[in-house]
Amino acid sequence: MGMSGRLAVASLGGLLAAGLLAIGLHTAGATERQRSQAGNAERGQRLFLVGCAYCHGQNGEGTAQGPDLRRVGAAAADFQLSTGRMPNTAPDRQSVTKRSPYTRAEIDDLVAYVASLGPGPPIPDVHNPPGDLQEGGELYLDNCAACHSAAGNGGALSVGRDAPTLHGATPVEVAEAVRTGPGNMPVFGRGTFTPQQVNSIVRYVEYLKKPQDPGGLSLGLVGPITEGLVAILVGLGALMLITRWIEPPAMRQEPPAATAPEDQQ
Amino acid sequence: MNDDDVQEKKATSRTALAFGITALASIGLAVTYARGGQEQIEGLLLAVALGGLGFGFVQVAKHLLPQGPYVEDREALPSSDEDQAAFAADFERGEGWLSRRGFLLKMLGLAGGAIGIAALFPIRSLGPNPGKSLFRTKWRRGSLVVDEQGEGVGVDTLDVGGALTVFPQGHLEVEDSQTILIRLSREDVVTRPGRESWGPEGYVGFSKVCTHAGCPVGLYQQQFKKLLCPCHQSTFSVPDGAQPVFGPATRSLPQLPLMVDEDGMLRAQSDYTEPVGPGFWDRGT
Repeated sequence: MGMSGRLAVASLGGLLAAGLLAIGLHTAGATERQRSQAGNAERGQRLFLVGCAYCHGQNGEGTAQGPDLRRVGAAAADFQLSTGRMPNTAPDRQSVTKRSPYTRAEIDDLVAYVASLGPGPPIPDVHNPPGDLQEGGELYLDNCAACHSAAGNGGALSVGRDAPTLHGATPVEVAEAVRTGPGNMPVFGRGTFTPQQVNSIVRYVEYLKKPQDPGGLSLGLVGPITEGLVAILVGLGALMLITRWIEPPAMRQEPPAATAPEDQQ
Repeated sequence: MNDDDVQEKKATSRTALAFGITALASIGLAVTYARGGQEQIEGLLLAVALGGLGFGFVQVAKHLLPQGPYVEDREALPSSDEDQAAFAADFERGEGWLSRRGFLLKMLGLAGGAIGIAALFPIRSLGPNPGKSLFRTKWRRGSLVVDEQGEGVGVDTLDVGGALTVFPQGHLEVEDSQTILIRLSREDVVTRPGRESWGPEGYVGFSKVCTHAGCPVGLYQQQFKKLLCPCHQSTFSVPDGAQPVFGPATRSLPQLPLMVDEDGMLRAQSDYTEPVGPGFWDRGT
């Protein structure tokens, strides 16, 4: 094969790769937008009757153990299921992020079924309209930082509950939590934040996963706990070693013991 | 050359090397700073410069200065008879000098008195009497409720379970007026007898200034309808008029009487009916 032949094969391969990449990107965007429509509500209902109906009722009307799901919408269902908070075997305790027993397709089916029960917030589109990082920072500090901490590390609440860290949450999960107010989190509906403002917050939360740190080591940005530990172990430890080193060898001798006058006995 | 001489020579060269490193690091620090600076490198160079200086001093103290321990006997405590007689003589001489300088003494008294009086004047800088300002906030009858961006808040702004920090229109960022607005339901909410009209359409507003130490009570637990103060964990039960249920706060958060105008916007019926924030000396009960 001559030089021109190899060139032709190479450029053909490049074109093919670029085309595949473009198709891949396009379908990735499409699945995210249409996830709520991707599921099959009938299959979801069968899964619901097996896994969810014990607490949420046969038709999602709720029981003493679990809330009514008829007006929660796709966003709440997708958030609770894809973060693994549901299914939850201890409804009187805070549900935490864990590995979901459902596959992605099963979650989509369940989300489609819950969405079919009644109106509620849909799964937000976190890329359109695009968010603004500065606006997101301002809104985050005003509305989110009180509980989730300025660095997104989460924090303690009362009654044994806590606001979780945001560093493990995907952009869609953050937007869903803002819209639906899971657990003890307040709800921020369309009257409070526009879709653009939610996307700004989502962008800022993404930024917080890897923030600029002009001060050097951030030590997890959890405040005085790690900083105090480092100060005590490294700082005080080094000072003690230096103090030991400064002392001249002649001074290390034991001082002569004070001799007690013998007539005191 | 004996062993001690060798030791001393080595210590001398170590000290000289340390001081040399200090000089180089200092020049490096100056150059880095002059070229625009880089905090981590500057900090490192400063540490090396000061560390070299310290290392050199310790070398001098340990190896070059004569080594102890030395014992210095304590001197006898009573003064000698000659010293006592000399002191008495000096004291009496001074007394004579003072009695001959009456004018200077008067001038000293004047200067001291003037300084003392002048020192009284800064008391005024402790500030004006707060007067009624601690009893009132910027909320007035008809004040429009606005969010932190200055946008008016209407009945559709919050969903049930939502919370928002709000201010009276035109007074954004006035600390004593900040209010946490919570939507508890779609119907009017009565938290206490006498507050029948204060919670229209499920909206209730409470002062965000903690009654314990004045921190912003910004943590709203939607599921339990509790407000939590991040400073000392005072917890307030919202449906009971933000009555404290845990922590050091003893007084409820003052509730802002709200109303809905004909355009569906939230407005204050009046100012808070009691002083907001922590107690103060003439607050009363």
